[in-house]
Amino acid sequence: MKQIYKLFKSSYRIFWNDKVSVALTFIVPLVLVSIFGAVFGGSDSGPQGIRLAVLNQSTSPVAKRIESSLDTIKAFQIIKSFKTDSGKTVVFDTLSIQEYVRNGKATAALVLPLDTYTDTSVGLYIKFYYDPKNDMEMQTVHGLIQQVVFSQFPSVMAQSGLRQAERFLGIKSGGVFNRNMASLIHKYFKVDTNIILHPQLSDFKIVGNDSTGGAPNFFNNIVRIENQQLIGKEMKNPWATRSVGGWGIMFLMFTLTATSSSLFDERRSGVLLRLLTSPVSRTHILWSKYLFNMSLGMIQLLFLFMFGCLMFHVDIFSNFFNLMLIIIAASIACTALGMLIAAFSQTRQQANGLGTLLILSMSAIGGAWFPTSFMPSTIQFFSKLTVVYWSIEGFMEVLWRGVGFISIVPHLLILLGIGAILNLVSLRRFRRGHIFD
Amino acid sequence: MVSHGEFMINIQQITKKYPTATALDAVTLEVQRQEFFGLLGPNGAGKTTLMNLLVGYINPDSGTITIDGDNVTQDTLDIRKKIGFVPQSLALYDELTAQENLEVFGQMFDIQRKLLKKRIEEQLHAVELYERRKDKVKTFSGGMKRRLNIIASLLHDPKVLLCDEPTVGVDPQSRNAIFDFLTSLNKQGKTIIYTTHYMEEAERLCSRIGIIDHGKIIALGTIDELLEKLAYEETIVIIKNPLTAKNRAVFEKFGTLLEEDDRYELKPVEGFLLSDFFAGIERKGIKYSWVELHRPTLEALFLQLTGRRLRD
Repeated sequence: MKQIYKLFKSSYRIFWNDKVSVALTFIVPLVLVSIFGAVFGGSDSGPQGIRLAVLNQSTSPVAKRIESSLDTIKAFQIIKSFKTDSGKTVVFDTLSIQEYVRNGKATAALVLPLDTYTDTSVGLYIKFYYDPKNDMEMQTVHGLIQQVVFSQFPSVMAQSGLRQAERFLGIKSGGVFNRNMASLIHKYFKVDTNIILHPQLSDFKIVGNDSTGGAPNFFNNIVRIENQQLIGKEMKNPWATRSVGGWGIMFLMFTLTATSSSLFDERRSGVLLRLLTSPVSRTHILWSKYLFNMSLGMIQLLFLFMFGCLMFHVDIFSNFFNLMLIIIAASIACTALGMLIAAFSQTRQQANGLGTLLILSMSAIGGAWFPTSFMPSTIQFFSKLTVVYWSIEGFMEVLWRGVGFISIVPHLLILLGIGAILNLVSLRRFRRGHIFD
Repeated sequence: MVSHGEFMINIQQITKKYPTATALDAVTLEVQRQEFFGLLGPNGAGKTTLMNLLVGYINPDSGTITIDGDNVTQDTLDIRKKIGFVPQSLALYDELTAQENLEVFGQMFDIQRKLLKKRIEEQLHAVELYERRKDKVKTFSGGMKRRLNIIASLLHDPKVLLCDEPTVGVDPQSRNAIFDFLTSLNKQGKTIIYTTHYMEEAERLCSRIGIIDHGKIIALGTIDELLEKLAYEETIVIIKNPLTAKNRAVFEKFGTLLEEDDRYELKPVEGFLLSDFFAGIERKGIKYSWVELHRPTLEALFLQLTGRRLRD
């Protein structure tokens, strides 16, 4: 027993002295749990800032109330106008709002047309345009819009019923019928007759999501939402097309961190010293590593996309040139990140630990696992500083939206910019660091 | 006086300091062309730092180093073509074959493809690894790896070969093979600097030896010149047994007595006479056969100079 205790104690001593193991055991899970907590569990959790374009052409109070309700939902960033190329702010019309979604500037658009709800309407009529580039986000948008629309439903139905009675029975007889119905409802259900005869939004509330669960079918003829998918209709496998980039980038970062860290193995074995005693400089070694990693990254990504194409019918060839540009830019940026990790580490173990922490965190906040719109606004800000975010956005642009070169220029510039900054930092660090000592 | 240009390697007043210690302190050393020079010293004496300076891997804080007339600190990339460096560690790619390793390292010197192939074959034959050339290095024994480690430094046919403890962890048979190979290289005209903390290696291989300790060259010369610095001409070894152990005081009258596991080593004082010594032990009944006279070693010189043993 004594011996077991001694060995047990020494195991802790060894573990505690291995800072990488300690970090992997406690810090990495802590960071990831914090990110997941912020996304799904905190008081400030839930989606935020999903860009929803709204055009209200109707003059009816119901449409106005729907518009007002949308304004209060924190998940949405409501956009009602756009800037033209000349910088002029213009309110959407039915064509420009669709173009806005098509260009990826908003996730979806809700149009409340002139006939959303008229005096002769039986129910509500709404147009919904969407880009399901992110399935999870789109389900949320759908759910929230249904909730808002159906929250108007009781008053619409009541008003509609009253009007229908007056139309078919005549104003006088219909009025009597309505009052009698109101009395009966009052008698048996204790509902104020004024509320029944003069329905307002505040009088009827649908509580929780369950109320809307079966509603679309039941009220199909009363609430008519005309859905139109603007992007990706022709995709053979939308799920794979959306996912392949995110997963590819995550694995790419793992690969490149490992290969960058091979410098440590070469230092330990003395190969680095042998190379540096031949007509080879430190700059030669670093550049060769950089080029090797970058080309390996490109090959790995291309391999993954090819696999996606063969197995899941991801269409990589219709926009292949632009896809290659994003692959190159993403490989450059990821390689720079791998080199940075190697430059700031003193051993391979440290590089692996730091790499795991950074890669998983960046994948989480960069949108590889779930939409960035599900994160608090502060984390969303940091998302845009990650290689993962811009790589995934770039892949979505070329694969999902099929955009041309001009549209991906910002993505390319940002990825190359990140790559350049990380490279400068890592080169400085390599000059001062321990790898060549 | 010999001008600096006449030496193959000329080290003048080299100092290298690290944050916690001075690795080399104003070291001056000249190595003749085609000389087999040994640098002997304990671990941490500054041998590897000096080698790293010679190959331009690190720069000195002060002083100059020239190899074949070229300043190492100013012209490192070109000068490296004149140097072959055998690092202390096995600087090889385990996952590559012996031949692939040699190709990788040989290519760095811009050797023509055909010539490189020829040299690789020659060197593999020279160290008896040709038959294993297509095997991965990870399958090699320690001695085979050491031999490959050496020939990887010879593919560009350097004028100078710097060997930093190239036999660490090698069995005696492989060590002898390595010694023979290095000796033949020296005979072919290569200047060799060989660092070690084994005095036997330095004594066997090197025509001239520098003893280094705490970053300073404390003795320099041929073996005979170095041993002349000792205060005595022989070391007396006495077998340890109950009788000799009982008479330690008798031995100590004649010099410094060191106790080993199975023997005593007597370093005689100045003016020591063998006849007095033998007369003394005879009186105590100690047999002559228990006593051996040995030529003093560099170990003894190091002890005399530093008060410590080489392997301490």
